Amino acid sequence: MAEIKIKNLHKEFGVGDDKVVALVDVNLEIEGDVFVSIVGPSGCGKSTLLNILSEIETPTSGTVSITNKGHAALPGYVFQAARLLPWRTVMDNLLFVQEEVTDAVRARCQKYLDMVHLGDKGNKYPGELSGGMQQRVGIARAFSVEPDVMFMDEPFSHLDAITARSLRRELHEMWKATNKTIIFVTHDVGEAVELSNRILVFAKGGVLKDDIQVDLPFPRDPSDEQVAIAKANVLKKFEELDLVAT
Amino acid sequence: MVAATDPDIQHTTEEQVAQQARRKELVQRWFWRILGYIFFLGVWEYGSGRILEEALLPGPTRIIKTFGELWAGGKMLDAFQATTFRIAVGFGLSFIIGLFIGLISQNRWWEAFFRDATLISLTAPGLIWALITAIIFGNRIAGPIITIVLTTFALVSVNVYEGVKSLPKDLVDMGKAFRVDVIGRNRHIVLPHLAPYLFTGVRFGFSIAWKVTVLTEIFSSGRGIGFEMRTSSQLFQMDEFLTWILAFFLFALFLEKVVLQAFENRYFRWRQGVAAT
Amino acid sequence: MTTATAQLPKSTKPVSLVTRWKRSTWIPRVLFPITILLFWQVGMQVIRRIWPFAVDVLPTPMEVVDMMWGEIINPFVEGKQAITRENLYLTFGRSLLRLGSGFVIAMVIGTIIGLAMGLSKAVDAFFHDWVMALLAMPALAWALFTGLIFGMGNRSPIVTVVLTGIPFVIVNVREGVRNTPRELFDMANAFKVPRNRATRHVLIPSLMPFFFAAIRYAFSIGWKGLVIAEVFSGQDGAGWTIKFYYDAHRAHGIIGYAFFFVIFALLLEKLVFEKISNRVFKWRPKTTDVALVEALFDGPDDAASATAAAQI
Ligand SMILES: Nc1ncnc2c1ncn2[C@@H]1O[C@H](COP(=O)(O)OP(=O)(O)OP(=O)(O)O)[C@@H](O)[C@H]1O
Ligand SMILES: [Mg+2]
Repeated sequence: MAEIKIKNLHKEFGVGDDKVVALVDVNLEIEGDVFVSIVGPSGCGKSTLLNILSEIETPTSGTVSITNKGHAALPGYVFQAARLLPWRTVMDNLLFVQEEVTDAVRARCQKYLDMVHLGDKGNKYPGELSGGMQQRVGIARAFSVEPDVMFMDEPFSHLDAITARSLRRELHEMWKATNKTIIFVTHDVGEAVELSNRILVFAKGGVLKDDIQVDLPFPRDPSDEQVAIAKANVLKKFEELDLVAT
Repeated sequence: MVAATDPDIQHTTEEQVAQQARRKELVQRWFWRILGYIFFLGVWEYGSGRILEEALLPGPTRIIKTFGELWAGGKMLDAFQATTFRIAVGFGLSFIIGLFIGLISQNRWWEAFFRDATLISLTAPGLIWALITAIIFGNRIAGPIITIVLTTFALVSVNVYEGVKSLPKDLVDMGKAFRVDVIGRNRHIVLPHLAPYLFTGVRFGFSIAWKVTVLTEIFSSGRGIGFEMRTSSQLFQMDEFLTWILAFFLFALFLEKVVLQAFENRYFRWRQGVAAT
Repeated sequence: MTTATAQLPKSTKPVSLVTRWKRSTWIPRVLFPITILLFWQVGMQVIRRIWPFAVDVLPTPMEVVDMMWGEIINPFVEGKQAITRENLYLTFGRSLLRLGSGFVIAMVIGTIIGLAMGLSKAVDAFFHDWVMALLAMPALAWALFTGLIFGMGNRSPIVTVVLTGIPFVIVNVREGVRNTPRELFDMANAFKVPRNRATRHVLIPSLMPFFFAAIRYAFSIGWKGLVIAEVFSGQDGAGWTIKFYYDAHRAHGIIGYAFFFVIFALLLEKLVFEKISNRVFKWRPKTTDVALVEALFDGPDDAASATAAAQI
């Protein structure tokens, strides 16, 4: 569980002709074990926001603080492409990101591999796994550090619909079981509605346009009427905000 | 928002900043490059006569002087003529043979037949061929020519083989559909497709050909760059020896970077367009 | 193949001898050396008939085989003197020792310069043109030059190995540094992995393929440079022995030694490089056969011209 505070966040890349404004004056507070989705058109700065939150990038101006009861919060990250070390086995990939390697930590890693149904693949190299399996290893890796906050950048967008659906279900179970703050970037409004308590809408140019609460009971079935209505409402908001046109 | 009130000023300053950054990088690169030249040439010049005797390691200024003398004496041109002639004949032959083998290797049987020949040609050291042909042919021209052919034909054949294998069948079919005749198809589809492959073969083949030619000339020749290198090294004339090495090096650099490059720019401009889009 | 034949009902019918002959690839592969031997043998006979005093100069295949066999069994036969000063094993041993020392020096210096060039634009600009010049310089020039400076002995061959091998190491290591996987470093950063662990598990493994390529090139080009240097300024070793046969006008010795080179290169490839490569690159999905063509012509421009230069 973590507390995230973003104040007047600005981010630019490059100078002169190459200058790109990725985020403009973002203010945001997220607290507790919520599942927050970020949606918006391509290039609107979603990945950039996650990279700043996880300290891969530094902001041009503004402040970001992520704490857990006053301490710096421990992050986990699931990338769009799995980003596994191809030269290390699945288990070693998990151990690579641990603070220290003890028997207890090994057992913990094994537990999370089991959770994504890859308990028997610990000795394989990533190259020997399918894309969906690799993505699951990425998810297990992020959970295995038992982070306070979890960043996920379109983790299912490369996968086929069936695999993505089962992974969404697994993710939901893991979130329920571990009580984490999850920041989840996606293109897919249906996915956002299905998984999250809260949906942040970004527009081109990196402007935070809207902040939508989704108060429906879990688990949510995408074919459920209520879920479908909620999805339709979010899409309608997109049109109101003129996101579709741009 | 601020930019909207006075966009022009904002824009130009930003552009200037970017341009300045680019210019600064270019200047820095050249600064370090020139520093590199100064350093290496300086070490060479300093080392001559101080670290090693001048007879052993003549400095760059001395070499440039010798270069002028050899050039003025007409020796340089004569040696280059001899060497270039050998390369031209040898590599011309090698190109024809390589082209032929590459073409018939489309047949699996011939491909297998020539597989080991290709491998040997690509891996056996040129020295061995140079020595064997020197023993057999003495200082007849057959020696260097056979050596060039044996060391370079595979580079041509391998490229031709790859080029033919990757012929764009869809374009050839398109030509057929539009009733383009065989000559037209060859001229407008097959040849332009093969040209870059041939060119690669020539470029790599060539870079080997000139080295191997000089090597054969060292053992068996009365003229040419290799012969001059041997003579000056036997007479212990380091300045002449280094000058020949330098001349030979500049010549190769000229052929590879200027001649072949100009050719490439002229005939393969369409490829740059492809790369850009 | 199997599915294709399964679909063809004809496959039950015995294939005619001609088709089988046309289809097989091992027949032409065997035919090639046989053809060469035939040409060789017949050619020699004809030339000797026309030109009787060519007997010493032009060897027959049998003479070459005899010579090679003699060299191989020489140390195991009591009281038999080698034709050359030292037997095959000592000769190759000496050359290998030189190659090894030059190679180690080239690897160390080349890695340092390559790393620096990959990391800093300034260092890259400083060295770039000179490394390219070194790359284009034929081993022959170094062999002669070092021979004149150092005279006979170990130094000229070793320095030649260093000078011919070093640009290949530099180019490959630099390329490796430039191709470090940024996204994996970002990943390590996101998980707050300490720097030295990231170096060990991300940087070094990602450099390995380039480093390995550097080793191979430096070794094969260094070997060719060494032999040439020994030809001009050795008092023993493989190159010197070849020169010995050359001066004695015995082509069978040269051809025999050429075959020893090939055998030696194959052994090195199979017993050393392939083993190391299998160990180091266990994580790579198996490629059935990496074509020679690919190895020669893929990769960036510098690297490609480097490979071409490695031929001589
Ligand atoms: N390292 C960088 N250097 C320069 N520009 C960058 C960099 N990273 C991102 N950008 C630019 O910042 C903007 C936002 O990029 P970002 O990757 O955050 O978009 P996104 O919302 O994640 O898009 P997508 O949905 O396609 O992943 C884009 O215009 C992009 O080109
Ligand atoms: Mg993104």
